[in-house]
Formats: sequence, structure tokens, C-alpha cells
Amino acid sequence: MGKFLRTVFLVDLLQGLWVTFRNQHPKYIYTEQYPAERPRVAERYRGAPRLNINPDNGETLCISCNLCALACPENLIVVTSERNEVTRKKDLTTFTYDTSRCMFCGLCEDACPVDALELTQDFELASYTRDGAIWDRQMLEEGPRPTQYRS
Amino acid sequence: MPEATFLDSTELVLNMGPQHPSTHGVLRVILKLDGEKVMGTECIIGYLHRGVEKIAENRTYVMFNPYVDRMDYVAAVSNGLGYCLAIEKLLNVEAPPRAQAARVILTELNRIASHLLWLGTHALDIGAITPVFYCFREREEVLKIFENYCGARLTTHAFRIGGLVYELYDGFEQECRAFCDMFLPKVDEYEELLTNNRIWVSRLKGIGILSAEECKDYGVTGPVLRAAGVKWDLRKAMPYSGYEQYDFDIPTAQNGDTYDRYTVRMEEMRQSVRIIRQAVDKIPSGPIMGKVGKVVKPPTGEAYVSIEAPKGELGYFVVSDNSTQPYRVRVRPPSFINLQALDRMVRGGLVADVVAIIGTLDIVLGEVDR
Amino acid sequence: MADEPKPEGAEPVAKPPAAAAKPPAAHAPPKPPPTMATTPWESDLTKLLKDRFGDQILEFASYLGQNFLVSKPEAAIPILEFLKLEADFDYLVDITAADYPKRPERFDLFYILYSFGRNERIRIKTAVADGAKPATATTVHATANWLEREVFDMFGIQFEGHPDMRRILLPDEWEGFPLRKEYGLIQQDDRWVRENLNIESGQ
Repeated sequence: MGKFLRTVFLVDLLQGLWVTFRNQHPKYIYTEQYPAERPRVAERYRGAPRLNINPDNGETLCISCNLCALACPENLIVVTSERNEVTRKKDLTTFTYDTSRCMFCGLCEDACPVDALELTQDFELASYTRDGAIWDRQMLEEGPRPTQYRS
Repeated sequence: MPEATFLDSTELVLNMGPQHPSTHGVLRVILKLDGEKVMGTECIIGYLHRGVEKIAENRTYVMFNPYVDRMDYVAAVSNGLGYCLAIEKLLNVEAPPRAQAARVILTELNRIASHLLWLGTHALDIGAITPVFYCFREREEVLKIFENYCGARLTTHAFRIGGLVYELYDGFEQECRAFCDMFLPKVDEYEELLTNNRIWVSRLKGIGILSAEECKDYGVTGPVLRAAGVKWDLRKAMPYSGYEQYDFDIPTAQNGDTYDRYTVRMEEMRQSVRIIRQAVDKIPSGPIMGKVGKVVKPPTGEAYVSIEAPKGELGYFVVSDNSTQPYRVRVRPPSFINLQALDRMVRGGLVADVVAIIGTLDIVLGEVDR
Repeated sequence: MADEPKPEGAEPVAKPPAAAAKPPAAHAPPKPPPTMATTPWESDLTKLLKDRFGDQILEFASYLGQNFLVSKPEAAIPILEFLKLEADFDYLVDITAADYPKRPERFDLFYILYSFGRNERIRIKTAVADGAKPATATTVHATANWLEREVFDMFGIQFEGHPDMRRILLPDEWEGFPLRKEYGLIQQDDRWVRENLNIESGQ
């Protein structure tokens, strides 16, 4: 008898509907209003690559050891350098990073011995051309500059 | 094969094409129909074939690690675990206990995330639109933990050969515990929405029955096998990464139909929470990386290691020839082998049941095609 | 790991080519890579198999705790049947192959089996030549259907008696077998791409 009543009065369907209605309360709103509010990503987020600069003297931290290029599974880092006769060390000339093929795995970041190459928290890497995704040294040091959203 | 019941009927061949909202990826199913009844199916796969096994022969062991995440992209952490365990077996090293505990926690969170996505999309295929939002909301919490830990939500690359490379961040245990406490009532909420719902029951009960004998014959593993009544789980049968220390049950069911697979997976989520709670309470301290040199060069040999991925038995068969690149990496994909049983399960059913059965097999085309 | 006895005794890499202190003549340049350091495997199962199959099984071995046997190709399916019916190995986990182009029998075909009752895994390894057609395992295990199709697709090993021997992952008209060692990494069947996609393939 109870089962018959439960069937006729749609108890199971109403139970489900009650769950849905309960979740309509504004406190359960989960949507993030991007791009008005930019989401906060984690500290360890593997986003846009960046070549770090020594804050004291403005020179690059990269020592041109080429370990990042050797570690990359896709072979998309190309580092060129020239030997500085005065300091007997290698000076970085160009550093090319192809973000179109990068899978943001973090192996290059793990390989860098001086923490010069770092994957930052930038995730807005879009560009209009395929060549715009190949970043040179300047782009890597400054970082991508997406257009600000004007609401 | 059921007989056609209509006079003068030619079989209708319907193409459930690669672009379809319910096929969970690029799966093409050619249905031979008699009216609405399915007489036979043929699956055409390979639209997502990327040649991962060929790539493996041209990358070093360490470099190949990010590629395995992209096979079962829904549950990437398990793929990484299987691969790292296989290479560690070849090298004959074991990850330290702290790394093993962290691996267990992340893998069980990954299992919850995978089952949540399964539940959301399966319910959506059946027609219930609400569970998708709730499941993805909970999945967000899991992905936030992954992001805080390794920096990526989906293709995590969380594990390395020999252990972990990222130390557990401050607040990891609190966040895991908070997630567990928040999540268990939500599972009850999903059950409230679906389990006794008459539409759900009539769509799922008695559909796509696969008996235990057929499961073993077709090599089907995972929740599909457990729903047929076989109490078998690789975490208990051949424990790896410290699973023998944790206390959990293996949910099984009797009938082997779609509804049973649903109950099995819901219960698995609860058991995963139980494992996470136990593991988080006793994470040992110590190093997180085992004794693996900078260059990974296992001696010549072959090894097959498999884990209980959310979808079934995920196995890696690695043949090495004493160089830095593997000679052959074979991935035994659970979705590929489970998908073989589709033909057996849909015979005699209706077209709408095909959608339900594809959903209940929980396939990910990235893994089917590799 | 380092103290495992290696048959050849030395690392093939990082040896300066001039420092050949070994007696073999210097005109045989690369040393063959060391073979797998297996240990022999003995159990009641091996006795059963040896009684039944005799010299068709070439070796019982075990590597890192994983047991496998090497058999002649014609004996593979009878062994699978025997193991399923008599020894409770009712679950075929995987069928796969590896390519060793320099050997006359260039393919190594592997069958991996598991027994629920014994909780044991076993591998069967056979050597198959190019063009040879090993018998199909679909009569013994239904799961072999797609697994053998994939082996055919990737390596070109045709299985005798298979109900539906055609490609599974690649398009049916594709030419070439990708997992063979001579197939390039970014090589594609340019003719198929040009005909079906109307583009010149390339990376």
C-alpha cells in the first residue's frame, strides 16, 4: 500500500526535485565570472614560461647550460650563447621557446639548475598567428601581456 | 541473434557517428537496426589514435612520463602511477613510504574525480541534466587539490620514476580531510537524485547484462566485472604502492546490469574516501624520491605491471634494451577491451539502450585509441 | 640492481671505441646488448606443461618475479587452451608484440594470462617471422578479437582463422605498419592523406 502511494504521488521524483530546488539558494552559486574576476591559480601552476632576471643588476639568470633544451620531450627550446672572454662564462644571446608545441609538463623547469626558467601562473597565452606562439627572449622575460578586459 | 520481426524489413543501418554528444569522445558505432531494436553493432575506433606507443620508442623514460597522462585524460594520475610503477619494477627500486602514501591519496582522489565525471556524463546521456553540475562542482574541488599539488588540473604529471618530485604542500592534509568531509554527504545527495528515481530505474535496470563468465571471456575488468559478481580488485589481489595497509571493501553486485554498475561505482567513491582518510592520517615522513640516478637506464628485460585504474586493469608492458629509451611500451587499455563487449551487451536492446551502455562502460577514447 | 650478473659483463654505452681490451676482433663493431638476466622457473605448473608439451616449450624463465615461458609459435594456442581448461587461466590480459628487425624471426609475440583462482600471471612468448601466420586465439578467449586486430594493424602479423582480420586503429586502406622499427616517427601514408583529406601531409 505504501509503495502504491509512493508511486502514485511521485514521491521519488519529488525527492529529487527537492534536492534541485534546495541547491537554487544563492549561496551555492559556483560560477566564476571570468573575465570580470580573474581566477586565482595555485602557486605551483604550470603556466606561461618566463626567464627570470636577477633583480639586483638586471641581468638574466640563465647560464646557457642547455639542460632545459635537453630535458624537453618535444625539443622546442633553442638556446644560443656566446662565450664571454672577459668573465670566461657563456652569455645568453637568444632563447627560443615554442609554446604552440609545449605541453607544460614542467620538465624544463625541473631541469634548470639556477631557477632561471620558470613556469609562471599566466594562462592567457593566445595569439592571432601561429608564429606569435614562438616566444623569443624578450617575450619570455616580459611575459605575455593579454589585453585587459574592459567591462 | 534475435530475429527480425517485421515482414519485408530491410535492415536499417544507422551511423552513430564520431561526432556525437553521447559517445564520450570520437567513437563511431554503426548500428544495424530492425525498427528500434538493435540487431548488431560495429565499433569503429581510431579517430584519436596518436601513436603513443611509437612515441615511447623515441623518447627517454623520463621524457615519456608526460605523454601517458594524455591517454586516459579524465584520470591522468592513474596512468602516471602505472607507468612509474612499471619502470620502477624494471629498475628494481621502490618508492619510499612517504611517496607511496602520497601516491595512494592522489590516486584515490583521481578515482573519485573519474567516477564523478562518469556519473555526470552518464546521467546526462540518460537525460538527467542536474547531476552534471553537481558532479563537476565536486570535481572542481579535487582538481583544485591537484592544482595546488603539481600545478596542473588535468594532465597532472604528478609522479616521477622513483617517487615524487613535488613535496606535499602545507595544508595538503587539511584540504584532503575537508574534501572528504564535504564529499560524503554529496554522494548521498546524488543517490537521492537518482537511485530511487523511477525514470532512472526503468532506464537502467535489466539493460546491458554481462554475466561473470562473459566478462572473464571478454577480458573485461573494473567496475563492470565487479557488478557481475566477481569480487576482484587489483588493489587487493596484487597490492601495489602500499595498498595492503589500508582497510577498504570491494563493492560487488549480483546482476551485472547497468544499474548495478551504477551502484558499484557509487560505493567505490565512498570506499575511496575511506582510503583517503586512512592514508591522510598516517602519512609517514621521510624522503619522497627513491634511489634513481639522473639517467634512467634499466637493464635489458621485460616487465608487465598493472594497476586498478578507475576504468579497469591498466597495464604497462615495457621491454627495455639497456638504453635510455624504451624498446617497446605497450599500454593495456581497459577501455579498449571493455568496449569489445559492447556488441554483446546491446544485442536485442533499443537504440536508447546503446547510449546507456556506452555510458556505463565508462570509456575514454583517449585510452581506447592511444 | 647493480649486482645482478650480466652475461656480457660490461656497459655497451660510454665505452671509448679505441679501448677494446676484449679478445673479439675489433672489426665487429657494436657489441650485442646484454640479454635479459632471467632465472629459471620451476613449479607444478611447469611440470604439467612440460609433460604435456615436451620440447615445444623452449624455456621456462622468470624475470623480476614475473614468470614466463618461451614456446614455438605453433604451440602457443594449444598452450592457451590447456592453461584455460586445466590450469584455470581463464583471463587473457593482453596480446602484444615487439619487433626485432635484425633477427630472422623478427617479431616476439606475447600472450599475458591471469588466473583468478590462483592469483597468478604468466606470459607466453613466441618468435614469429615476417609473413608467418600464427593461429588466432579467438577460439579460446573472446577478448583476442580486437587485440589481434591491433597487433595486425601495428605490426602486420596476420592471424590464421581470425573472423575479421582488418585494421582497427588506422583507416582500412592505410599502407604500412607503424610499430615496425623501419617505420619513421612522423611518417604517414601520404597517398592516403592526400586522397582522403586533400592536403599534403607533413608536420
